[in-house]
Amino acid sequence: MSELRWNPLMGEWVATATHRQTRTFLPPADFCPLCPTKPGGFPTEIPEPTYDIVAFENRFPSLQPEPPAPAVEATELYPVRPGVGVCEVLVYTPHHNSTLAAEPVEQIHQLVEVWTDRFRELSALEFVEYVFIFENKGEAIGVTLHHPHGQIYAYPFIPPRVERELEQSRAHRDKTGRCLLCDILAGERADGRRIVASNDSFAAYVPFFARYPYEVHIASARHLQALTDMTDVEQRDLASILKTVLVAYDKLFDLSFPYMMVLHQRPSDGGDYDYYHFHIEFYPPLRTATKLKYLAGSESGAGMFINDTLAEEKAAELRARVAPVVWQKEGSGD
Amino acid sequence: MQRRQITLEDGRYLIFYTFDEEAASPTPPESAGDEQAPARVEEPTAEPQATEERRV
Ligand SMILES: [Zn+2]
Ligand SMILES: [Zn+2]
Ligand SMILES: [Zn+2]
Repeated sequence: MSELRWNPLMGEWVATATHRQTRTFLPPADFCPLCPTKPGGFPTEIPEPTYDIVAFENRFPSLQPEPPAPAVEATELYPVRPGVGVCEVLVYTPHHNSTLAAEPVEQIHQLVEVWTDRFRELSALEFVEYVFIFENKGEAIGVTLHHPHGQIYAYPFIPPRVERELEQSRAHRDKTGRCLLCDILAGERADGRRIVASNDSFAAYVPFFARYPYEVHIASARHLQALTDMTDVEQRDLASILKTVLVAYDKLFDLSFPYMMVLHQRPSDGGDYDYYHFHIEFYPPLRTATKLKYLAGSESGAGMFINDTLAEEKAAELRARVAPVVWQKEGSGD
Repeated sequence: MQRRQITLEDGRYLIFYTFDEEAASPTPPESAGDEQAPARVEEPTAEPQATEERRV
């Protein structure tokens, strides 16, 4: 079953996805479904002995290209629609014990190229209005599958947080004639206290309004809206700054740092979003090496985050852990 | 970048991306190894996405 149910109180869709678990045989205890299938071994999701990067449709998607009819009837109060869309899994590397942070910057660059291809292809589907690329990493946010991977949801609507950013960006442009994120970036560069790292094409910073202690945003220096707008140099620079931020994260507490990573790009509904500006946001759940930030009453029930740290101090902690990124092959990078 | 798309038994697509010439990683990352650590999938069904829930 999967369907979209309308929440009239909030004016947003909720996906319900319940999947029957039918299994006739069980995999071995140490089985990883994202590893390559070894010759003679138990078959994983990926039926080849090796690969660089793999994208595939999620076995239990909450959105799918040809969804079943909703299990409940819609009413005037409660519109219901089929859960149309696409849910993909992206396996970053065949190395089970790696992480995106531990991968060479060249592999991260390849991931950027794959992201771009997936964005282009999924955006072209007529039922897709927003392509959302993200990664959930770490047991702290409930991920128990350690093999490095991310996900893509191709939604049949523009999701509410993105809609909010679009509204704010549009209003800023109407009021000032300028791009909101270009202004934010210029302000961060001028101030400098919250900058974590930068190169010719991107800057990484803890936003002034950070909701999580180690929240980091990466924004393109050039005013562009999507991965598909980037030059080759910009894609390499994006890989470099991602590597920089990820390595700094891991050095913070000398552990593999958990996070949610989300890409915010223009919608794919055919509209004109020239006022929007590409960026990546990281939401790490850790406050300290052992303490989690919980989404408690104020955050969950009122939507106001309480951050008991200063963005300026957290940025300095991360900045102190920035190391040069080394490319094995000639080219740009920092 | 080359891509090769296949169809899995249940009809889902899977795309292999390969990068021959450019930027093949000369050395594996430090923490990577060929041996598999226990995947720590909580349910024997081993469904990667079924186990991913936001739980903060
Ligand atoms: Zn694995
Ligand atoms: Zn801009
Ligand atoms: Zn954003």
